[in-house]
Amino acid sequence: MAEVNYICKRTVVSTKPVQPGKSHPLSVLDRLVEPSRHVMVVYYYRTDRSRERLGEVTQKLREGLAEVLTYFPPVTGRLVRTESRGSGEGGWSVKCNDAGVRMVEARAKGSVEDWLRNVDWEKEKRLIHWEEMYHKPYFWSTFYVQLTEFEGGGYAIGLSCSHLLSDPICATVLIKAWADVTLRGKMTSPPLFHQLPAHRPGSRTPNKDPFINLCSQRPTSTNQSATSSASVHGKHKTISLSFSDQMVRSCVASAQAHAGGPSPSPFEALAGLIWAVVSKIKGRRDGLVGLTMGLDIRKLLGLDDGFFGNCMVYSQIQPNSEENCLLAAAMAIREEKAKFEKEKVMDLIEWLEDNDGSKPTQQTLACSDLLCLNLESIDPRWAIFEDGSSPIQTSLYIEPTCDRGQFLVLPSPSEDGPLSRTVMIKLPRDEADKLLEDDLILQFAPTVLMGV
Amino acid sequence: MPPMLPDFSNSVKLKYVKLGYQYLVNHIITLTLIPIMVGILIEVLRLGPDELLGLWRSLHFDAVQILCSSFLVIFIATVYFMSKPRTIFLVDYACYKPPVTCRVPFSTFMEHSRLILKDKPKSVEFQMRILERSGLGEETCLPPAIHYIPPRPNMEAARGEAELVIFSAMDSLFQKTGLKPKDIDILIVNCSLFSPTPSLSAMVINKYKLRSNIKSFNLSGMGCSAGLISIDLARDLLQVHPNSNAVVVSTEIITPNYYQGNERAMLLPNCLFRMGGAAILLSNRQSDRRRAKYRLVHMVRTHKGADDKAYRCVFEEEDKEGKVGINLSKDLMAIAGEALKSNITTIGPLVLPASEQLLFLLTLIGRKIFNPKWKPYIPDFKQAFEHFCIHAGGRAVIDELQKNLQLSAEHVEASRMTLHRFGNTSSSSLWYEMSYIESKGRMKKGDRVWQIAFGSGFKCNSAVWKCNRSIKTPIDGPWADCIDRYPVHIPEVVKL
Repeated sequence: MAEVNYICKRTVVSTKPVQPGKSHPLSVLDRLVEPSRHVMVVYYYRTDRSRERLGEVTQKLREGLAEVLTYFPPVTGRLVRTESRGSGEGGWSVKCNDAGVRMVEARAKGSVEDWLRNVDWEKEKRLIHWEEMYHKPYFWSTFYVQLTEFEGGGYAIGLSCSHLLSDPICATVLIKAWADVTLRGKMTSPPLFHQLPAHRPGSRTPNKDPFINLCSQRPTSTNQSATSSASVHGKHKTISLSFSDQMVRSCVASAQAHAGGPSPSPFEALAGLIWAVVSKIKGRRDGLVGLTMGLDIRKLLGLDDGFFGNCMVYSQIQPNSEENCLLAAAMAIREEKAKFEKEKVMDLIEWLEDNDGSKPTQQTLACSDLLCLNLESIDPRWAIFEDGSSPIQTSLYIEPTCDRGQFLVLPSPSEDGPLSRTVMIKLPRDEADKLLEDDLILQFAPTVLMGV
Repeated sequence: MPPMLPDFSNSVKLKYVKLGYQYLVNHIITLTLIPIMVGILIEVLRLGPDELLGLWRSLHFDAVQILCSSFLVIFIATVYFMSKPRTIFLVDYACYKPPVTCRVPFSTFMEHSRLILKDKPKSVEFQMRILERSGLGEETCLPPAIHYIPPRPNMEAARGEAELVIFSAMDSLFQKTGLKPKDIDILIVNCSLFSPTPSLSAMVINKYKLRSNIKSFNLSGMGCSAGLISIDLARDLLQVHPNSNAVVVSTEIITPNYYQGNERAMLLPNCLFRMGGAAILLSNRQSDRRRAKYRLVHMVRTHKGADDKAYRCVFEEEDKEGKVGINLSKDLMAIAGEALKSNITTIGPLVLPASEQLLFLLTLIGRKIFNPKWKPYIPDFKQAFEHFCIHAGGRAVIDELQKNLQLSAEHVEASRMTLHRFGNTSSSSLWYEMSYIESKGRMKKGDRVWQIAFGSGFKCNSAVWKCNRSIKTPIDGPWADCIDRYPVHIPEVVKL
């Protein structure tokens, strides 16, 4: 039933030429990322097929994209290697050469509602276009957009981009700017391309150790083959659970240590819930499996909404609790989060800059860890391209998945309430099936959007 | 120091001598007539009215003689006015401005080239070197079908491009001139490389519902100089049909001609040709005399096709793999120079002032009789024209003409800037250049413009226009949004 026909592939360039000679250096947080990692987002929309012809919305969106790319020179640029400071290859930088982003246009049979009824990762992959880095990255586009129109009504926007340039939140910033320009003709928060904030030169304290168990997103050489083989063979399954506002509140209440104490945030509660359940499924009767948590530090550093680049820090939590329950998990997360203060984060950035050439002390994203990302700062109202038409569903992926699994906590696009959340979980196939039958999960009655 | 001053004063003296000579020769008739008129006037005043009357009576004219002579005068005047060729006015013209979404920056062009010609790195290198030295800018546009990876130049896309370009230009022309489609008497469309059935002129007639007794023509295969050939055809038709107007549409449809092989000489047009078109309204009606922008003064066409080398220098053929492309031969510049010389020899006597013609004649006689080693005198065309529109065929063409005609940078500015902003739009590039000059506010009443176009065959055509009324800025045209940024400095080689 669901067939996707690819119509064409082209390059979309900005409407105004870029000043020649511009380049965008990658920050230390950008450089921590393994080059093959990429972010993929899909947004689904409804349209009234009787009012809009097939192909009309594609053209409008493409013109809007050309407009908005004028403000994002690094997005239309290409990766080049800079001179290396020590031994080995130099780091990456983006040369803003005005080359454009690739865009694929496609048509699908049926309507968007039919598609969403039984969608999974395999099907969603067909709505997103991605190409692995070429041997010569100078001709490799870092951003790919696919616009799929459903013949029965509705359309899907698939954006994929290299994680070197943008984390998931940054990708949504681009989509927000695109939506603003298409709908209104101007952006509410223009993009900013500047370095991460640093201490003033005088108050730098050299060589302070990082305050957290910092994780870079590079797999170690021994684990790399294991990672790629797992994702290639499709041993993972994606589940998307939507927790309503009321259910999230009751989860928060369960994760509260004692009545009258500090109330955990929805992220802490839900992440704790998933962590506890996954640990149980993986066979840990007592205690929790290792978790690597990724937090957005934009608000912490006081950065504007339009900041472009990676701004997430990954820290490894080794819990010492003997219990395997929601409460313990939530508390462990809470403790880790509390460590994040502005000064300490800036020290961390400094430390990274000083140790840029050699990274022996950083641990790498070992496959023994579960990965969890807090993406609550993405506002679902950011992606409104047409009047009154907000996305009916959003999916977000970070590929390649690590062996153990990963889960992302996003706000829900529905009008349910401020605390409603969607959690996208990717686990090995058998574990994923067990997750859906777990009592603890069922207690909070989530709607299963994907993975049945 | 002493040596400096004499040189300077020498050159100044020479300049004044030259100016004096030119003034004397160009106004020789006025200068000889004035003393004669003054002499007669003084004589008449001296004689007084009575003596004049006496002089008149002594001639013994009677009524019949006076009547016959006046009839003779009237008869000669009528014959003269009847046989004078009709004045052709250019009422207005409109150039097509491509949408910004069709823009092709250098890096995108090179990337596509690399993706399509994956296993031919030498061809990609060659294209890159051409693009670096081409004189094009980052805002030139290619039609949508060429933006696809791989390009999809099918007939439907070609028709789509033709409709987009021609209809936009014509709508713009109708809006500027207030012309109603039903009033068009003659329609000429020229597009060299795309010639479908029914023709593009039929496409225009169908879209705008033109009259059934319209005289329509479609010129194809005539290269980049076809624009001026169409104007020449319109002029001839307007001599035959009184009180008519003619619409000329000049364009080049890029879609079907994107060369997909890897023969170097044929890859060149891919790098230079870009989307563009123009629609021009010509008229011979006296009522248009007031509002017309230009008047057509001369039209000179030179064809060097009789020479085999000239005939084969721009040749469309199949390469070794069977892919069709346009082969540009290495002696293109030399042949262009020859064709230009031929054209100048014909147009020179028509437009040059008497002083230049005299010098040329004297030098010619001198070379023939006295010493063949004298350098041939190249007439100074800057005295005959205020503005030059040289077809923006490529940087080499403009450089060559600038050298041959000894033009300054300002004279060729319109051509260079058109090449930079719009690329080589083939037959319509002359109109973009005219629009540039107008947008800069340089076009004043009485200015003479020389349009030169080269084309396959090998042809060199010239048109001379005289500005009818000063054109005030700002004008609505393809340069409206970017004229303030020009002129830009175009580097010899752009580093990619």
